[in-house]
Amino acid sequence: MPDRAPSPPAPADSDLIAKAAAGDERAIASLYDRFGGVLYAVAYRIVGQRADAEEVVIEAFAQVWREAARFEPSRGSVAGWLAMIARSRALDMVRARTRRERITSSAAADQPGDSPGMSAWRPDAVRALDDAERRSRIREALDTLSPPQRQAIELAYFEGLSQSEIAERLQEPLGTIKTRVRLGMQKLRECLRTFYLEPGT
Amino acid sequence: MTGPGQDSVHDLAAAYALGALSAEEVQRFEAFLATSPAAQREVAELRDVAALLALGQSEATPSADLRDRVLARIGESKVTPLSAAQRPSRGRVPPLYWGALAASVLLSLGLTLSLGKTRTELTGLKGALAAAGAALAETRESLASRESTLDKLFAPSVRLYQLTASGDPEPGIQLFWDEKRNTAIIHGYQIKPVPSGKEYQLWFIKDGKPVPSVTFTPESTGHVRVEEIQVPRDGALSAAAVTVEPAGGSPQPTSPILMVGELKKS
Repeated sequence: MPDRAPSPPAPADSDLIAKAAAGDERAIASLYDRFGGVLYAVAYRIVGQRADAEEVVIEAFAQVWREAARFEPSRGSVAGWLAMIARSRALDMVRARTRRERITSSAAADQPGDSPGMSAWRPDAVRALDDAERRSRIREALDTLSPPQRQAIELAYFEGLSQSEIAERLQEPLGTIKTRVRLGMQKLRECLRTFYLEPGT
Repeated sequence: MTGPGQDSVHDLAAAYALGALSAEEVQRFEAFLATSPAAQREVAELRDVAALLALGQSEATPSADLRDRVLARIGESKVTPLSAAQRPSRGRVPPLYWGALAASVLLSLGLTLSLGKTRTELTGLKGALAAAGAALAETRESLASRESTLDKLFAPSVRLYQLTASGDPEPGIQLFWDEKRNTAIIHGYQIKPVPSGKEYQLWFIKDGKPVPSVTFTPESTGHVRVEEIQVPRDGALSAAAVTVEPAGGSPQPTSPILMVGELKKS
């Protein structure tokens, strides 16, 4: 007998979301067990401190709980959806902190575009991969970027900066930043293509 | 060939997916995006690339009690989400949920409920339910005048949909769609004021295209209620959305979507 039989049929991520939508709190516990660590890591990367990152994780799961019924499996992966929620909540926290620090007049329109538009996530875009394998492949992909490309992309994703803000921060021409973002994202996309199941045309 | 101010679609798609465009660029790009299924696919793929940035983070270890705190927070909001499965013996919405509706309607009718932390209560609705019970007793008479609104909301053919904002969980709009009368009532909460000369505008997405609907501005409390909204007929409605438009409304959206919610006819 091998020490473990072929892994027991764990519920798919999307089944857990469906259970959460039906009001089953245990589904959130399972989702936390699967994704809590990585969502905390994203949150920590963005907000930079432990207590706030934990608050972000709580907010993110509360949002998942509220909105689980609106998740459309046909439009994309659970992992991608969770990552998007955690990032948004984390950036909210940073922005709220900044707002508190220097009170600025706020208009809904002047944040960098984060609008999801009508189509959110593509089917099966993030294929379920073993966590360690996933991380190592993503790291390999990131390693193909030049350091400036990587920096520009990370400033946009993890700090929520617009390209103009990145240009200002780095004292580089805007055109240069735009090129780095575009080429960097293209490169990542090529490297990560193996993660995707090509959508049926 | 791309020059400054004339970026190619590919340039914009990558930055858009990362959330790195300015508001003005977002507006321009989304106007284009609405017309191009190919660009929509490209954006979807690039968004997933962006999500992988997050998922590639090394796992970190939060406090041991975080799991319990997450679950405690979930437990605070026992009211299950919108399309929760339990069917009550009558009607389509669980009885508890009717209570939640009543709570939110009472709010929108301007009755004074002591809500404490509005946001927690609104999402959780538990405290609001208790408060609503008390308020109902106290204000039965004043409710009489509101009865027609309540009747409309509680008609069996009414279904509730939720519009939410991206990047910010606070504002939201409940859309009560009376499928029999083909009318809707919206109730917005935590809605930010708009600059003068601007109004919010509601859109129905029919056959994939935005159909203009009413315009509105929130009260100083952030609440807004609009009744007798005609819902477009003869087509597949997929969503309702809200943008900011010049006062009086626009025939086509001219700004990014601020709030959106899916509509599914039963």
